[in-house]
Amino acid sequence: MTPTTNEDAIFEAVTGLLGRHRPAGAVVTPATELGADLNIDSVAAMDLIMEIEDHFEIDIPVNQVGDMRTVGDLAGLVRKEVAAKQG
Amino acid sequence: MVKPTTTSNARLAFRSEGFATLAEGLDYAAGGETGVNFFGPRGDLLRALSYAELRGLALDFAARLAATRLKRGDRVGIVAETGPDFLVAFFGCQYAGFVPVPLPLSINFGGREAYVERLRGMLLAAGARAAIASADLLGTLQEAARPTATAFVATVRDLMDGPCVGGGLAPLGAGDPCYIQYSSGSTSFPRGVLVTQSAIAANARAIAVDGIALRQGDRCTSWLPLYHDMGLVGCCLTPILNQISVDYLATTSFARRPFVWLKLLSDMGGTISFSPTFGYELCARRAENGQVPALDLGRWRVAGIGGEMIRANALQRFAETFAPLGFDPRAFLPSYGMAEATLAVTFAKRGRGVTIDRVARGEALERRKVAEPARTASAPIRDFVVCGRPMPGYAVEVRDAHDNPLPERHVGRVCIQGPSLMDGYFRNADATRAAITPDGWLDSGDLGYMMHGELVVTGRSKDLIILGGRNIWPQDLEWAVERLDRVRAGDVAAFAVTGEEDEERLVVLVECRTRDPLEQVTLRRAVQATVQRVAGAEATVVLVPVRSLTFTTSGKLSRATAKGHYESGLLRDVAEAYEAGTAVPVEAFAATA
Repeated sequence: MTPTTNEDAIFEAVTGLLGRHRPAGAVVTPATELGADLNIDSVAAMDLIMEIEDHFEIDIPVNQVGDMRTVGDLAGLVRKEVAAKQG
Repeated sequence: MVKPTTTSNARLAFRSEGFATLAEGLDYAAGGETGVNFFGPRGDLLRALSYAELRGLALDFAARLAATRLKRGDRVGIVAETGPDFLVAFFGCQYAGFVPVPLPLSINFGGREAYVERLRGMLLAAGARAAIASADLLGTLQEAARPTATAFVATVRDLMDGPCVGGGLAPLGAGDPCYIQYSSGSTSFPRGVLVTQSAIAANARAIAVDGIALRQGDRCTSWLPLYHDMGLVGCCLTPILNQISVDYLATTSFARRPFVWLKLLSDMGGTISFSPTFGYELCARRAENGQVPALDLGRWRVAGIGGEMIRANALQRFAETFAPLGFDPRAFLPSYGMAEATLAVTFAKRGRGVTIDRVARGEALERRKVAEPARTASAPIRDFVVCGRPMPGYAVEVRDAHDNPLPERHVGRVCIQGPSLMDGYFRNADATRAAITPDGWLDSGDLGYMMHGELVVTGRSKDLIILGGRNIWPQDLEWAVERLDRVRAGDVAAFAVTGEEDEERLVVLVECRTRDPLEQVTLRRAVQATVQRVAGAEATVVLVPVRSLTFTTSGKLSRATAKGHYESGLLRDVAEAYEAGTAVPVEAFAATA
């Protein structure tokens, strides 16, 4: 798998996990804001992180949540953690 | 494999009384085998620390702190992550004669800047001379500390690797402060409660002896944040002053996997655990969408509730959901308190469960402010949870606006007396004057009434917003929203409204200077984003006509009036007010943007 397709796959998976947070019909792009566009509050954020952790079998450092503004940021972090896990 | 600390001490006698300071309490607990245990996000035991080990590390850390430039009584900010380092630093300060200031954690998407500002506000208000965080958060804390008086920002590890003094530590004594609790106040003007050694000793003793009757064999389980009074005093300091073992789960782990809390209670044999209503609610809600694990909750004898208005329906759902696992609804123990009183003031009677006072809605309650018992089943009713009697040594008085005591069942300001009341907010005489009555009672800012000597809380008189147990200062939201394009100072009012089941909903009114529906959508979205960033909460954003917010004669925004107008329907959204039914759904635009 080339890095590009891997990147796309992770973005797709993250978008899929956004599922019920996503307003019907909304198109999610890397620039979509987690708070503003998807209205994910702090409890829903933890829910989402759990789903992502379970799906990718990674642990997301909670202190990095504050730096994540968009779906692209989130996918980037997942990518980093997945890469770290694969060593 | 890490082995958890035992529940009971083999030889050390259980003791709740006679500790004048926290250091004395830990010294005593260190004579046994009990201690603290930290669990990971999936309930795996990461680290166990007996109180003897904690004391050893804290003394070591104290010797390093004493070797720095800090002077006795200096404040040390500590980011209160749930882990051994926080306890080592907190107790290190006790042994070295410094005053720890627990600092909060933040978990909002995109909330970094708001978090840095909040930390900075607290460091400045406390005049902190040093600040401590884990390696993960060190950068954030350094950024926050840059324009403050802090001499250094470090991890526990950094200091442990540094020089130390040979001896001669002078712990904080009986007449000294103990720590500063920042749980209220806005970002720019945080209000820190200075908790003294005598206040913590008095409150911890009262909680243990009169509130929950702690005894040998009890074990505590907690996911509450250690920067909050309920987590710090209730589930950390009180257990230490009673040599009780505690099993900790980080708050963020609980929020992700609430069942891990129940699993720990079951696996470790926890008998005592506290949560705001929303913690119980989260478990019940998670059970609806998934499978409930096989657990034994039969040993849980005190399921304490506090920290926000207690909601009976949510607790009932929890009890019904988990009854098959042995949860006894009589374990529910409603309580009432606040950081200004160190923590607890009233407790309901143990073993009684949740008691509801069912009162008649309507003219008596809303206009005459009298909570009359509901007589007929058909008339509108309002259920309130009874929070119990003040503990021995404490007093609660419900007063009118002129400080006159009100008779039973009359709703008024809940005022408090007791041995653990704060002397005042740290370096904030104005806020102190506003909170303490001329005759020395604490005005809690809550509204309520007394019934057969028990307190019933009905709401708040002050503007503070409490969402899921978190205090949110409306000014923080208003100021942040005012900084947006097209919004001016004084255009915004934030408040919480209470729904049918006492759940709080955040409402932000913004005066709208544009008639362009597309610009209105953009503004609405920007306000929502701002609220998410600052408070990590969803808000109902209402764009109201210009000049519809009211101000007091002294120029202060009247949130109470704005809220009243909104609730009565007098203030409506411009989209709704001009052309009912043609409002453009936000999602439609977010999707195409």
